Amino acid sequence: MVSERFLARADLDRLIAILAEGGRTVIGPVVRDGALAYEPITTAAELPQGWTDEQAPGSYRLRRDGNRTFDVGPPAQGLKRYTFPALAPLSVAQRGPDGVATFTAVAPDPPRLAFLGVRACEIAGLLIQDRVLAGGPFVDDDYRARRAAALVVAVQCARAGSGCFCASMGTGPEVSGGHDLVLTELDDGYVVAAGSDEGTRILSRLGLEAATPSQTAAAAGGVAAARAAQGRPVVIEGLRDRLMDQLDNPRWAEVADRCLACSNCTMVCPTCFCTSVGLDSDLDGATTRTERRWDSCFTGDFARVAGGNFRPRRQDRYRQWLTHKFATWVDQFGTSGCVGCGRCITWCPVGIDVREELAAIAPPYRGALTELPIVAGSPGAYVTATLRSVRHETADTSTLQLVPADDGLLAARPGQFVMVEQPGFPPFPISVSRVAEGALWLTIRAAGPATAAVIAASPGTQVGLRGPLGRGWPVERAVGRDVVIVAGGIGLAPLRPLIDAVIRDRERFGHVLLAYGARTPADRLYVDEMSAWADAGIVVTDTVDRAGPEWLGRVGIVTQLLDQRDWRDRPAAAFVVGPERMMEATVAALRAGGVPPERTFISLERHMECGIGLCGHCQMGPFFICRDGPVFALSALGDLFGREGL
Amino acid sequence: MGMDDRGAVTTELGATWFGAGLSLHARARLGAAATLQDVPPDTILLREGDDTGIFAVITRGRVALRMRVPERGQMTILTVEPGDVVGWSSVVPPHRSTSTAVTVEETRLLVFEARTLRGLLDSDLALAATLYPRLLEAIGRRLSATRQQLLDLYAQQSDPVPW
Repeated sequence: MVSERFLARADLDRLIAILAEGGRTVIGPVVRDGALAYEPITTAAELPQGWTDEQAPGSYRLRRDGNRTFDVGPPAQGLKRYTFPALAPLSVAQRGPDGVATFTAVAPDPPRLAFLGVRACEIAGLLIQDRVLAGGPFVDDDYRARRAAALVVAVQCARAGSGCFCASMGTGPEVSGGHDLVLTELDDGYVVAAGSDEGTRILSRLGLEAATPSQTAAAAGGVAAARAAQGRPVVIEGLRDRLMDQLDNPRWAEVADRCLACSNCTMVCPTCFCTSVGLDSDLDGATTRTERRWDSCFTGDFARVAGGNFRPRRQDRYRQWLTHKFATWVDQFGTSGCVGCGRCITWCPVGIDVREELAAIAPPYRGALTELPIVAGSPGAYVTATLRSVRHETADTSTLQLVPADDGLLAARPGQFVMVEQPGFPPFPISVSRVAEGALWLTIRAAGPATAAVIAASPGTQVGLRGPLGRGWPVERAVGRDVVIVAGGIGLAPLRPLIDAVIRDRERFGHVLLAYGARTPADRLYVDEMSAWADAGIVVTDTVDRAGPEWLGRVGIVTQLLDQRDWRDRPAAAFVVGPERMMEATVAALRAGGVPPERTFISLERHMECGIGLCGHCQMGPFFICRDGPVFALSALGDLFGREGL
Repeated sequence: MGMDDRGAVTTELGATWFGAGLSLHARARLGAAATLQDVPPDTILLREGDDTGIFAVITRGRVALRMRVPERGQMTILTVEPGDVVGWSSVVPPHRSTSTAVTVEETRLLVFEARTLRGLLDSDLALAATLYPRLLEAIGRRLSATRQQLLDLYAQQSDPVPW
């Protein structure tokens, strides 16, 4: 049972006294030099009661307001000063008169500390540094010793500063672990709860009354208000991929024009951990002391080697910092490197706001935040749809217009698919080839009895549909870029909604090329639409594998349509569907032409029975193609794509 | 043709995929031996089985390579686009055309008379050493493409399926 107690304001000194027992130093926020700083305290009177702060990009002011102690943002520098100090001795190297060299590691000698007034974001910072410095196969001994020797008394925020975005990063304002005690401030005292055995012992020694329901409700209300005040300026869903997709964004150079490379952001960041080894030598060179010193990826020499500098430009360093913090940190440590404390915004002398930069460089994909509801989700639950028309595209392929009883199916996004069911036949998956005029258009090739039956059906026939299923084309990834659409055979069908979407927003894209390969001229789909696509500003090229003399178009493989194209200076996104061997040749040609794998999207085909990742048929490596695909970035597939027998 | 025109031919050759991969020396020697020809559609440049009379680099238009199949007539195996070559067999024994080359639209070609080109290659080993690898690259691309076509990837699977 959670036992929340109430600590009267006047009793805060008793808590401090207990924390200080046994020679422990209590570290709390105090006003110093016009800002807050974590410093040793002995009484509650030293805490910033009656102070609050006003923070903005590049600006920080303390002012008098109210009577609370913790209605003020976290100190300029966090606890890193104590757990991972800017200077820490590492070793002493000596060369004796006899020429014998000795190297002596400096053993950690951590101070026993109790941190008071620690915010959720700061605890998150500690937990991230725990992973970085003490969670891997190699450990920073000094850090680990200091962490083990420290108590954490947390405070839940009841007020959010303008720089705060812990709610976006999922680190606060609620304190949900990593603490010994947690306080939530009310006007006359604190609701207190323990978070560890040590915290429980301290709490029992304080001998406090249980908090009343109204006190706990008021505490929770304050924290909820602090959350609500932040909004959601940083969308972390997909942020890693979005950022890594933007290594060539021109904004990096623009930020670099403002950035001073002063390294303030990395100094105040509670998680930045980069260090260098510094040397202090005696004049005679006989004794050298080495120490670990904070360094910063913003400094000019950080990436320098004897042969040159890998990040000579400021834009290289800003990009390194931002992509490490929000993207590659995830790969290295399984968590974002940002806790949303906002210090890098406030203490940036030119007011660069990381929230704005992320939104500008790696904006959320449109529609990325909400999963489309699936109509008739479970296998067996079908919505009826009435066949409105059948159009014969080729000898064995037709396009059906189906009017579903539930409009939810019409929300299908480009690249999604539906399961089609008819009495007497097994269900089969079909990509949506267009959504228009209140109908779902499905282009189906007669491959067996079920598909043959449905394209032979007469208008008015009812079939069952489930969907929309799967992940479609990330059209947003192509915005502002050239678009390369490569289709082989019936693979043009799942790409047609993408073509429709590009034409609807034509001015948002650069050059658009369609390269289409078919078996013979008579096997080409949507031939009478191609001139309309060309009129809409798409370069339409096609080729066939074989043809008679009456065909004056191209004969050859689809990659020949890409041969003389070059996107190395024109960032492009590519969308590819066709038989796998054709897609393999295509992605090789695209890569040679400069389209990166993270912006090369392919739609995979596998046997699907359920369409929702339950039946197990469509697995490929870690993926369920129906649920995690069918559209994948090539980079997400790694070397799975094209591997035999998967 | 005057010197300026010769320079234009060399420049035109250098602007093609085939010519861009050749050395300056090779481009200059070849440029001096080529004629720029505009050919109307439906012109037969080479006939399957005949001696290959010309080697050409396409700079504009399209050429179909066709083979005759009894009962089915002429089948187009490949179309060749600007930058690529027609008549590689003119410099590879036995100097017989492997397909019939027909223009399918207004086409501009840099044309080499086969005998002249062979003479050049025999007398200028530096030219041969740069031209043949490029030619092999062109033929290799064609071979690879033909193999992919042979796979008939867009054909229906013959295995019966219940769907």
